[in-house]
Amino acid sequence: MSRVNGSGSQDPHVEVSRVRLRFGSREVFRDLSCDFPRGAISIVMGGSGAGKSTLLRLIGGLLRPDAGEITVGGDRTSGTSPAEVLRARRRLGMLFQNGALLDSMSIFENVALPLREHTENGEAEIAERVSARLASVGLEGVEALLPRELSGGMLRRAALARAIVMDPEIVLCDEPFSGLDPPNVARIEELLRDLNRSRGLTLIVSSHHIASSLRLADQLVLLQGGASICGDPGELSESHDPRITEFLGADARAHVALRAAAEAKA
Amino acid sequence: MKALVARLGRACIGFVSGLGAITRFAGAIGVVVLTRPWRFRSLSRQLYDAGALSFVLISASGMTVGMVLALQGYNTLTRFGAESSLGAVVGLSLIRELGPVLTALLVTGRAGSAKAAEIGAMVTTEQLDGLRMMSIDPVDYVATPRALAIFFAMPLLTAFFILFGILGGYLVGVNFLGLDSGTYLASLETSVDFRDDIVAAFLKAGIFGMLVGLISTYRGTTCTPTTEGVSAATTSTVVTASVCILVSDYVITALWGV
Amino acid sequence: MDSSTSGRDLAVGVFVLAGLAAIAYLSVQVGGLSYSGPRGFEVVATFDNVGGLSARSPAMISGVKVGQVKTIGLDADLRARVVIDIDPNLELPADTSAAIRTQGLLGDQFIALEPGAEEVLLGPGEEILYTDSALDLESLIGRVVHDAGIDDEN
Repeated sequence: MSRVNGSGSQDPHVEVSRVRLRFGSREVFRDLSCDFPRGAISIVMGGSGAGKSTLLRLIGGLLRPDAGEITVGGDRTSGTSPAEVLRARRRLGMLFQNGALLDSMSIFENVALPLREHTENGEAEIAERVSARLASVGLEGVEALLPRELSGGMLRRAALARAIVMDPEIVLCDEPFSGLDPPNVARIEELLRDLNRSRGLTLIVSSHHIASSLRLADQLVLLQGGASICGDPGELSESHDPRITEFLGADARAHVALRAAAEAKA
Repeated sequence: MKALVARLGRACIGFVSGLGAITRFAGAIGVVVLTRPWRFRSLSRQLYDAGALSFVLISASGMTVGMVLALQGYNTLTRFGAESSLGAVVGLSLIRELGPVLTALLVTGRAGSAKAAEIGAMVTTEQLDGLRMMSIDPVDYVATPRALAIFFAMPLLTAFFILFGILGGYLVGVNFLGLDSGTYLASLETSVDFRDDIVAAFLKAGIFGMLVGLISTYRGTTCTPTTEGVSAATTSTVVTASVCILVSDYVITALWGV
Repeated sequence: MDSSTSGRDLAVGVFVLAGLAAIAYLSVQVGGLSYSGPRGFEVVATFDNVGGLSARSPAMISGVKVGQVKTIGLDADLRARVVIDIDPNLELPADTSAAIRTQGLLGDQFIALEPGAEEVLLGPGEEILYTDSALDLESLIGRVVHDAGIDDEN
């Protein structure tokens, strides 16, 4: 792991160590290590093709690395034991880029699905819990609609409701801001921050949306050339690591934002 | 030359590993069917899609085929003065071969390709990954009800195809060509054997149903998550399933000793 | 459950029932799968030559179908032994005779039963003693040729 100031996090919730992954001849991760602290918002950044979504899929156990180990709350999702992966997934919720809601089912049924599959709850309890979760993401009266009848922002919030309906400890968010207009970006940003504050959720968010990422981040994970650089915004803005300047280099506003974020945290 | 041999080798390895993968997939479906509670809601929905909605297509096709068989058969039989065997010719052709095989090919084109495309689109939009992250097995939740529905629908649709074919032959033979209705039905009923013909027909239908159900859901779930991936999965479903139907038809016919 | 779902379930139910009925019809009516309730009774008849008779060929009295051939095999004397399934309601005299006849000149062969005059009835499993084998066109022609005086080396 390459940390800017060398100090490891005290209480890692998700640990990625020495991960190597290649797709055919393309090497995505050469030697990737990073920790995601419990109760923190970590933002995974990097150019397109740097493997942001791939890292989230590795953590969720949707992909298996060629080498290295990934643990979620102590259970390996990089291993071959299906029971261990399932245990890890009980702690995980995932918000996919396009929602990944089942398009043949109503919003209500989509959010209710994990409850129906994994709990013995009765209809009334399920209905209560589903409306509570939908309300917590600011969606009301959309229960009977199909996913395709929702706008992009609403769809993303409905998917977030599904991701948290089983009360996970960790939520993986794949590009939660992409394709949204500024008001919706702000809304999602606020929801994520609120989830982190009120429920103590560990959030791992992949994003190329620099401004909102820096506003949210407790920790930044920069993916570059198959490895990562981790640190909080302050550390990164102080740092003179050429890879950071290279990543931020093109965008002068990014430097400003990074500095502003660092000051805000301080 | 060396490159050519290497290509052959690669093709063989690809074929065998594909066979292994689909066998594992079939095993996974088998485990789900035997050990998990059945998803009757989902099964009913899929049976509606693959079965009930195919009824008109299958019965209309069966009827047309029966009518053509009667016309063709009559022209040939009449040369030997054996028009009275028209019922047997139409019935046996339909029951032994055309019913099961044509139904299976039509179901492949209608339901098999649709299911492959549907699951492929779900892969592309990460819906299957979404299920995995909710600890729901896509084989259990998505593939099994669809494969089972095609498996159950196949014998039923085959029966409709054969019945409407016999009816079509009757319409042409009796109402159009002026054959005696009793002769048509009697020749049909005396020539058809329960074990050799009827059981063989539904044995074929069951095996074809299994093949089409498996191939379409397998191709769907292993689809490359792109638009071309979905279209490739659909095409490959139709091609693979059709070839498998025709080859297994020969094997069953040879083994069943018809 | 909303109404569209229950409508779909109904359609599926109708589809499955109709399909099963179609399979049953094909099996019973077309395929001749006899239901195993009160079975017909079996009688045995031995012939020198059964010709083109086969299992499921009809057995008729005065042109009315009353049963069908169940199995054809050889008996200890290497003659053809035919087991016939007969309508259980039928009362056949013990001296009933059986003959293999052809429908039309080249048609299918069937067993024609000719009831006798005995008071005693034929019971299940009993043998029909008076039989008349299939008309063998080839040997018939051979005999005619032989009778005409042409020497047959065979």
